[in-house]
Amino acid sequence: MIKRSFIGITAPRLTYEVIEEAPAEPMTVRPAKRITLLMDAPMEKTGGVLLKTGDAVQQGQRLQLFENNPVPCAISPVAGKIESVEPFLGIMERQMTAVVIALEGSEEQGRDAEFKNVFKSAGLAEADRFLRDLPGRPDFSVFNRPDRPVKTIAVMGTEQDLTAVTQQYVIQTNIAGVKSGIDALRKIAGIQNIQLVVYPHMVQVAGSSGAGIKTVDLQYPAGSTDMIRMALEAKQERNTEVAIFTAEAAVAVGAALQTGELPVDKLLTVVRKDGTRQLIKAPIGTHVSDILEAVRQNVEAGDRVVLGGPMTGHAVFSLEQPITPDTDILVVQDHSELTEFSDIPCTNCGSCVRVCPVNIPVNELVRYLDAGEYEQGAENASLFACIECGLCAYVCESRIPILQFIALAKHAVQRLKAAEEENA
Amino acid sequence: MPDRKKLTVSYAPFWHDGSRISTKHYHIMAATLLAVIAGLLRYGMPALGVLTLSVGSAMAWEYLMNRVTRRPVSIGDGNAALIGLLFGMLLPAVIPWWVVITGTFVGVVIGKQIYGGIGGNPFNPVAVAYAILMISWPVYFDFNAALVDYPFEFTAAYPLVLMKAYGSAGIESFSLIDLLLGRQTGGIGATFGLGLLIGGVYLMIRGFIRWEIAVSFLAGVLVSALCFNLYNPEVYAGPGVHLLTGFTLMGAFFLATEDSSSPVHFIPMLIYGALGGVLTVLIRNQGAHVDGVIYAILIINLVHPLIDKIRPKATGRVMHHA
Repeated sequence: MIKRSFIGITAPRLTYEVIEEAPAEPMTVRPAKRITLLMDAPMEKTGGVLLKTGDAVQQGQRLQLFENNPVPCAISPVAGKIESVEPFLGIMERQMTAVVIALEGSEEQGRDAEFKNVFKSAGLAEADRFLRDLPGRPDFSVFNRPDRPVKTIAVMGTEQDLTAVTQQYVIQTNIAGVKSGIDALRKIAGIQNIQLVVYPHMVQVAGSSGAGIKTVDLQYPAGSTDMIRMALEAKQERNTEVAIFTAEAAVAVGAALQTGELPVDKLLTVVRKDGTRQLIKAPIGTHVSDILEAVRQNVEAGDRVVLGGPMTGHAVFSLEQPITPDTDILVVQDHSELTEFSDIPCTNCGSCVRVCPVNIPVNELVRYLDAGEYEQGAENASLFACIECGLCAYVCESRIPILQFIALAKHAVQRLKAAEEENA
Repeated sequence: MPDRKKLTVSYAPFWHDGSRISTKHYHIMAATLLAVIAGLLRYGMPALGVLTLSVGSAMAWEYLMNRVTRRPVSIGDGNAALIGLLFGMLLPAVIPWWVVITGTFVGVVIGKQIYGGIGGNPFNPVAVAYAILMISWPVYFDFNAALVDYPFEFTAAYPLVLMKAYGSAGIESFSLIDLLLGRQTGGIGATFGLGLLIGGVYLMIRGFIRWEIAVSFLAGVLVSALCFNLYNPEVYAGPGVHLLTGFTLMGAFFLATEDSSSPVHFIPMLIYGALGGVLTVLIRNQGAHVDGVIYAILIINLVHPLIDKIRPKATGRVMHHA
């Protein structure tokens, strides 16, 4: 954890981790007994659910949750048998479905061939159907909006959060894979303007990717998706879109379209309690407990295990929770190191305002949110401009959980808007 | 049965820079120490009595209010102690005990707690306390009368009173070095300019106070005093004198920078500070009062929410509202 520096006259500068020249091979982690796939849709008990307990699944098989809806789906990273299909409550009351697959049979068994039959002629429809749950979660739905055409594709060689080195590793060691991914994206989407976003020290390696190079500063949150999207959208016409793919997603798309086999292994950075770092490769859905065992990290009661980084991730409540296609980092914090939030009110010290990358009057916003005036906050204090980088809460002297306030307020306002639309 | 360890679950971010309210207040108190010690050496035990009573009674009022309003006990955050300390530093060394206690009551209870405690006060509690008491019992705040029994090796009259009465000629006996080193009468902790400067610069570098406010406050004082001085040097003293007399340095570093009653955006901070500095000199040179700092700070506190509206537009993610 980076503490406040002695000199406090300027806003703190948090920088992304830089990967070493010749990084070590990632450690391969295999799930012990079962994996869990999270699907982003509420579990409907009424029927129409395609997945049943006891169904056998093959490695690489596309699992579709509902009969009539192709969207909630996942690619099974292992061969086995469905052990359970049950509701799962995600962050901010998100209704999801957890599909638990017990491992059965060896991995050398045949892989599912559904994609293999279509990959040679794959277009946007096939990509959207099969590739959306590859490692890095490539999102092709953005191309399906005629009112907001995509003008630029950004491939992110930068990290979403501090301490991660996942995307940098991909660029550093597999630029050929990134190149074939970029070519594949160009072919599928028919968009020529592809920008590879990297930190300044990676420019040389990134040069051979065949894409335009955009460099960003090492200062957090310059490398985050939202900052990149804002920078690129500013350069193009209004009402046009920037599609964002991580470097890992680009590699996965490229590999899938080249071989017809869907990649299922996720690369992620694990940061242990003592701050040491280990890159690992594990199938999507592998439980946190299996990963921690592999990297020899004990977890005791009261410790905190975070998926997705120290500034923007979310803490898991059970070690049986899985890694998802977009989990780039897993952080373990010792219980003695946790800082607690407090109920001291905002004293208007202004640290948050100085550190905010998008100029939100956080001091004012937090007063609206504290009073439950969410819509006022959205109107007068730019609630929805927030990119949720977490810096305000990081520097808050009163230790107010500002980011949680903001997330809750956004959630509440959106739910209200949705309800209004429904009743209109 | 899988291993069920209870993990800590909370919302992002999972890092914190370690700063806290109490650290900040303790550092501000530490930064006053040079000036406070100089005052104690000058005025002896009575000054120590006033300071300890002021700090102690401020904390007692805070605790009492916590109890009465049934809120968490907040004297640990150091804010009440800081209010008491700053209030004590402005007082003459010889002042009846009940004035001190009334002052901290006004500062902590009326200045802060009735607005909901720390962060809620629209005015600087110390300035509120000082202004109300100065108006209510002006006789105890007359430095010349209060300090009459002290044998000083320098002119034993409050420089600002001399300045008001005799113009520039009145303060000829003070050199700037004298003023800087505290060879003048005044509040217990408000006369040792060098100590206040060192403390203030320390706080600015560490980021415990906002440098924009302090620097623009001092710039406001210097520039406006210089203008008056150039206009009529016989009547209006130079900028250096204004800087080192009265409560100018206390105001710039410790009063105007109070968090809750000051703006947070860059340009508003500059306007706020400069306005305070200009008002200070205006009140001193043109107004009826001897020292303008306290009133100047109350006035800029009053306008702070307005000028804090001058701020850059948020540039973040554009939301496609329905």
